[in-house]
Amino acid sequence: MTQSLKDKLVILLLAALGTAFMVTFIAIEEQTEIFALLLVAAALIVAAAKFGVIKAISQCLSRNEKLMNGAVIAAVLVVVFWFREDHFPLLMIATVMMYVIACFGLNMQFGYTGVVNFAGAAFFGIGCYTAAVLGDTSVPLLMVIALGGIAAAIIGSILIIPVLRTRGHYAAVVTIAFGLLFRTFLEVNDTLGGPQGLRVPGMNLFGWDFNSNIEISENIELSFYMNYVILALIMVILAFVLMRRIERSWIGLNFDAVRLDETAAACFGIDIKRWKITAFTLGNFLAGTAGALYAMMLGFIAPSNFAFSDSLILVSIVLLGGMGSLWGTILAAGLVVLLPEKLQAIQEYRFLIYAIVMILILLFRPQGILPRGLRAYIPGWRG
Amino acid sequence: MDVGLLGQFVVNGMMLGMMYALVAVGFTLFFGVLDVIKFSHGDVLMVGTFAGFSTYLGLTAIGIDNAFVQLVGVLVVSIASMALLGAIIARYLVLPLKSAPPLNTLLVTLMLGTVLRESIRLFYPDGSNPKHFPSLLPTDAWSFGSFTLRADSVILLIGGLLVIIGVNVLINRTRLGLAIRAVAQDEETAKCMGINFKMIVLLTFALGSGVAAFAGVMNGLYYNEINFGMGLLLGVIGFSAAIVGGLGNIYGAILGGFLFAGLQTLGAVALPFASAYKDVFAFAVIIALIAWRPTGLIAEKTSERV
Amino acid sequence: MGILRKSTVSVIALAMAVSIGAGVANAKDKVKVAFIGPLTGGVSAVGVGGRNSAELAVQLRNADPSAKYEYELVTQDSECKPNVGVQAATKVASDKSIIGLVGHYCSAVAMGAVDIYHKFNLPMSVWGAVLPDVTYGNDYKEIHRVNGTMINQNDVAAKFMTDQGYKTWVVLYDTTDYGKGHNKYFTEYLAKNGGEILADFGVSSDQQDFTAELTKAKQLNPDVIFFGGLTPLGVRIRAQMEKLGITAQFQGASGIKSDSFIDGVGELSEGVVSFLEGAPVDKLPGGQYFIEKYKAAGFAESEEAYGPFAFAAMNLILDGIEEVGPNRKKLTKYLGKIQDHDSIVGKISFDDHGQNTVAAITKYVVQDGKWVVWEDSEYATGARKLAGK
Repeated sequence: MTQSLKDKLVILLLAALGTAFMVTFIAIEEQTEIFALLLVAAALIVAAAKFGVIKAISQCLSRNEKLMNGAVIAAVLVVVFWFREDHFPLLMIATVMMYVIACFGLNMQFGYTGVVNFAGAAFFGIGCYTAAVLGDTSVPLLMVIALGGIAAAIIGSILIIPVLRTRGHYAAVVTIAFGLLFRTFLEVNDTLGGPQGLRVPGMNLFGWDFNSNIEISENIELSFYMNYVILALIMVILAFVLMRRIERSWIGLNFDAVRLDETAAACFGIDIKRWKITAFTLGNFLAGTAGALYAMMLGFIAPSNFAFSDSLILVSIVLLGGMGSLWGTILAAGLVVLLPEKLQAIQEYRFLIYAIVMILILLFRPQGILPRGLRAYIPGWRG
Repeated sequence: MDVGLLGQFVVNGMMLGMMYALVAVGFTLFFGVLDVIKFSHGDVLMVGTFAGFSTYLGLTAIGIDNAFVQLVGVLVVSIASMALLGAIIARYLVLPLKSAPPLNTLLVTLMLGTVLRESIRLFYPDGSNPKHFPSLLPTDAWSFGSFTLRADSVILLIGGLLVIIGVNVLINRTRLGLAIRAVAQDEETAKCMGINFKMIVLLTFALGSGVAAFAGVMNGLYYNEINFGMGLLLGVIGFSAAIVGGLGNIYGAILGGFLFAGLQTLGAVALPFASAYKDVFAFAVIIALIAWRPTGLIAEKTSERV
Repeated sequence: MGILRKSTVSVIALAMAVSIGAGVANAKDKVKVAFIGPLTGGVSAVGVGGRNSAELAVQLRNADPSAKYEYELVTQDSECKPNVGVQAATKVASDKSIIGLVGHYCSAVAMGAVDIYHKFNLPMSVWGAVLPDVTYGNDYKEIHRVNGTMINQNDVAAKFMTDQGYKTWVVLYDTTDYGKGHNKYFTEYLAKNGGEILADFGVSSDQQDFTAELTKAKQLNPDVIFFGGLTPLGVRIRAQMEKLGITAQFQGASGIKSDSFIDGVGELSEGVVSFLEGAPVDKLPGGQYFIEKYKAAGFAESEEAYGPFAFAAMNLILDGIEEVGPNRKKLTKYLGKIQDHDSIVGKISFDDHGQNTVAAITKYVVQDGKWVVWEDSEYATGARKLAGK
């Protein structure tokens, strides 16, 4: 068997395994079963790492990037199709996807360029509120998603001067203060619904109402969340392509240079301000678009959705996945959104356990689950 | 506005500023020795207050009801236990991450804050409800027109001031302080001079956490109410105050603390719009100040090594 | 859900086989009901109290041999956040095995969730949220509420306080829907009764320090300080009034009527008045029964002010399922017709918006560290006096 054939088989096998895992994980509700499944998965991964299987697999994957991307999309479609009639799993899957888009945005800032942003939820929220305000007007809703991103980028530009002038902890405080300010402002401001929040009309594309179930025939009626899942999947793919293209282009090189050593980068004639502004604005744009779609899907938003703790969740996803690692972000978003949801039995103890797990991960695997690899001169030649 | 009312606002603002400053001093101490932000600081303060509260309950239970003895007991237990907790946090969570990116330390301590907060809420008896913190100080009040001054407020203000002066003397006038300053300036050189780096870091964290515990008890005595969430906002404000003042500088922390309290009071009193906007106002000014002075009002004296 | 359904089917088949084999014929069908409330976060004490009470209703029903079904309670945490609440609501509403729901203490969450219950035809009753719009803001026949709204509460509160001879107020309210609603309706009813509001201050729901607002209030020298908000802030405001030497009467909305308010402020709680929907629980024969059973069930937490409502709402849902069987649409119809239904919080009658119309308002005052019904207190007899009287 040739190398490439073997690779292809491995990838298909992995995709099948991943699909089966996702379906089981989302479907089971019994707490003991969930724990058992997680333990088995963790044991498998540890064992695989021990015997060098992970390394082999990752080499195999990096050789066949296109096939891998296709396999992942196919796997997600299979999972989505499996739950075609079940509203809640689809809602969760769509939520994960929107978190992924927002975290891609943060990744551009934290992971690529090293610009800190602790107000991710605020920019996500700007997107949400844009959708709520523009939803009732005659602006086409697909445009509203883009406008959500643009609004986030524009409002974010208020922070450009302080963000550019500061570094490290000082920059962190700028964004933390902005996040708190944003939420307090929404709470005391009556015209935007105040603490009561706002209703958001659902997505409607060329007469296709996203908020009614899809009736295919007498017996087959798909959940209306399927609409949002598909749209979110398209957006994730677009965002992923954008992120990858930027990462591998000269723009990404500049980003890396700015992150790794500002002084050296400046010596080589790289305009640090320009790249920081680019990353900050683009990142906020992505978070805003995700927010706009999220608001349409949820149908209701309120300031308490965009608290400091929500920004922290976004940051912890980026860190957990591995700075700048796109696949890591996807995996981490899935874990962070789904796990607390799945572990409802431990209700009051959820946050405690979540925090403890995060501490353990940061102590023992500070580089994240799937750390970003070194830049490869030619993709696929890493092995 | 009449003078009495103005006086009242000034005293209120000073009380707030004192508490913020005490919290900010902790942030600045930790940053000085290790260049890290320990975000669980506010929650350590909260745990310290609960430790003090438990001591009070314990003392009352065994029949000691002299307010002065109780106060001393509360302070000693609270400060000592938080100093220990601070050292433990430094030893097992902060030092191991010394070589990791600063963001990791920030997140670890943020998560630790959640753990502390949730633990009190879940495991302290009836922890999710606010508790009545006893008044252990004399409550005599003097009224001058619309200005009411209470003995306990005065004692707390003086107490806070003494603690700040004490910390300042400790840092600037003692051998331990010299060692702390040495470590803050240059870890390697300090080690060469025979300073036990690890010990100094642990002691600094103990000191900062002890000060936080004092601020927590002060908070309890002043508001007579404590709850599991009280540390969160105090932590964020203390952090902002330390940053605005300039990290690594005690005077900066004090300045930042009083500045933030002043902004909040001003926002509530003097601005034309609703007082609910006072935090929006305070944080907006903070952002503007940082844009103006990117390394704080009293800037860090460092030259960058390339 | 795919896998789940298959496994449930096989489990049921197996169970049936076993039961037939053993000759046990009287195994009851299982029916699922749900509870949603804030189990974590700042108001979790009330949420957990409500959950315990709903659970108690289910436990008692399961222990009743004459019940037709065996009930299983599914609980979800809303965290008092609309986005989390909407997720929880979707989860419950889309699970077709859940027939009825008792949900929501936080009005903002309820507002976001009612659309979902309507979409999935899930009959539900609110157990604590008091914003009028939850029932009156829509025409959904699935939505009901056993507790009263803040309209009734403030009507009674304004009338009562002006009758006591108070003339001027300063209002503090938290800027959540709850606080703002109280500010709005209290202001409205106070104007009708001839009282005057000198100033109102919105405060954020996690604020610690109120000295700035209270100093302003002190300058205006009102007869009464009214607070529209929940216990944690109520405690702080009452304590800080003392620090500033404000001697005005303190009046709170239903949100402060909890034991933790008294624990929180200690002796300063004496003479504080508050208003709560429903007749006092311990005054009703059913209330005594509820308190006894709650104690006997051995819950670690107190039932808090709205526990009885959660209990009554759950009982109402269970009564309905007993009557019409486990079917959402039939249950909705049943609930729509409820008139003079006996419960531990008094007779329940729903109007055309599903709002319980007979929700009585009880006036409370703190006397010697306990909430006492006004009419039974020494304040009503004149032996003690409210502040400034």
